[in-house]
Amino acid sequence: MSDEPTIVRAVITGGHDGAAEMVVRLAYGNGVERDLVLDSDTGLDLMTRCGVSHLDDLVGQSWRKFMALEKSDV
Amino acid sequence: MFDLIIRGGRVVDGTGTPSYLGDVAVQDGKIAAVGVVHGETLAEIDAKGRVVAPGFIDPHTHFDVQLLWDGAAKPALEHGITCVVPGNCSLSLAPIRAGDRQRVVGMFQQIEEMPPAAFTEAFDWTWEDFAGYRDAINPTLSVNVAPLVGHSVIRLWVMGAEAQERAATPAEIAAMQDVLRESLKAGAVGLSTSFVDVDENGRPVPSRFAQFEELDALSAVLGEFGKMLQCVPEFYDTDITIARIDQLSELSIKHKIPTTFSPVFDSTGAPTNVARTMARVEEQFARGARVWPQMQTRPIDISFSLLRPSLFFSRLPRWVRVLRLALDARLEALNDPDTRAKMVADLGPDGGARMMGKLVVRGGDAAPAAWVGKTLGEIATERGESPALALITLSLEHGLDVAFLSANQGHEVTDRIGPMLAHPLMHIGASDGGAHIASFSTYGDTGYLFSEFVRKSGAMSLEQAVAKITSETADIWGLKGRGRLAAGQCADVVIFDAETIGRGEEYPVFDMPGDGMRYVRGATGIDTVLVNGQVAYAAGAYTDARSGIVCV
Repeated sequence: MSDEPTIVRAVITGGHDGAAEMVVRLAYGNGVERDLVLDSDTGLDLMTRCGVSHLDDLVGQSWRKFMALEKSDV
Repeated sequence: MFDLIIRGGRVVDGTGTPSYLGDVAVQDGKIAAVGVVHGETLAEIDAKGRVVAPGFIDPHTHFDVQLLWDGAAKPALEHGITCVVPGNCSLSLAPIRAGDRQRVVGMFQQIEEMPPAAFTEAFDWTWEDFAGYRDAINPTLSVNVAPLVGHSVIRLWVMGAEAQERAATPAEIAAMQDVLRESLKAGAVGLSTSFVDVDENGRPVPSRFAQFEELDALSAVLGEFGKMLQCVPEFYDTDITIARIDQLSELSIKHKIPTTFSPVFDSTGAPTNVARTMARVEEQFARGARVWPQMQTRPIDISFSLLRPSLFFSRLPRWVRVLRLALDARLEALNDPDTRAKMVADLGPDGGARMMGKLVVRGGDAAPAAWVGKTLGEIATERGESPALALITLSLEHGLDVAFLSANQGHEVTDRIGPMLAHPLMHIGASDGGAHIASFSTYGDTGYLFSEFVRKSGAMSLEQAVAKITSETADIWGLKGRGRLAAGQCADVVIFDAETIGRGEEYPVFDMPGDGMRYVRGATGIDTVLVNGQVAYAAGAYTDARSGIVCV
């Protein structure tokens, strides 16, 4: 496995404010997995950044693309 | 001579001990006797076949503004709530200097979704300090209020606009301590802070610019009074939440204060979140910390319209592409028969029946009343369209301002949530009453506790459920004399039918200042609510009683 954190799961769930949110599960090179919740705009931006148009296609994408997204937002 | 005797009810006294048939006598706003009560009385209530319990306490609300014109915090009181805690998430309506009001209004509108008229027409903003706010709400209260003072507004008071730009100096921190101390003396039950919230421009609220030294100094003042620190941690990330639990625990132990944080959610997307959070909470309680997680009872619904792109469509690439277009281009695409046909075809042979058929059209927006409350499946059948096409055409007919609701999309699995709520260290709360008013109803969580987790799943006994939202809440928050039916306690009482207590359907009302809309829910099974000995709600109607107080 690569040392790069990778998306291994992405699902949609209801958020605290009643909007749909995306929960992505990341797997790290050392075997650790963690869940992270993204709001609607960020989730859709992640899909764009990863070049995918279907939620399920996020699986296998590098998390570095999200980090790039965050950096470009700053 | 008693003022009132509630006769022959099933007394659930709030302690969690088994219920029994008995009477509850009230005199001078206090409970005078419980059990078999003899003696004369000015009035009686027959409670046969009903439960008599302490009034419920809602520890996480944003009723700060509404309380200025609605002392009952409607509809909270009709759900059996006799005490609300406003001022959560770092925001309260005092202390605020006159020159800073507009800045704070924007923050409140972001959280509460209150219309602008609420701040300009509904009340005279005469106060600046916390005592002034207390005095402004006090005369017309029907419900008790245990207000928090917000870290963000204290910061703003001391630092002005720079509160949203930088860390505080030692002198500024000392000044904040003085303001907090004055607020606590004036009736605040604690301090609220947030690591998450943003203002109307998406900028972090002032509390998020605080360094740990500042929070530590403010907690030291809380320690002088033994008062609560409420916190919104980065709940979207379990690891950061756990780090915040550790931080709150250090403050709790060092300053001998209770702390609480929310929200804590369960979802199938992050199924380990609650277990990991609670494991850390248990470890910290074992060390001597008081760090109470708050969990709401109700499931989360998703609401959306085609005015904004929503992740609801994230498995429909063409829909995402169209909905992410600028509004003019989006309307053009949705009006194009060819594009529309392709979008509908993306749903497959059922035309969206499975994915969209159960969506409910919500009221309060441009949707015509005839469609409100109906499912998209029903509407599609009436219109002779597929559900996917009906969603598009109905939206187009009303400028895209039609909201659809997808129910139970998070925190929704009763068999998982029940044991979490029943955990001895789980604080039931986080209703957000009075917030998000234009997005969904934040009322009825207590009714849902009984209907879903007592009657339906049996995760808790009736007595346990009552204790969770009465004596346990009062003890966590240090609300003396509340939360129990016992002689000498304040006579906050709710009489309800254990078989029918619940929450009604969500519906829109236009009762906010300036005809502003909000979503509410009525209650089922609530007969009578007493606040400090006076009947504040009975037989489906609010009374003229103004017996609520600011709890100190």
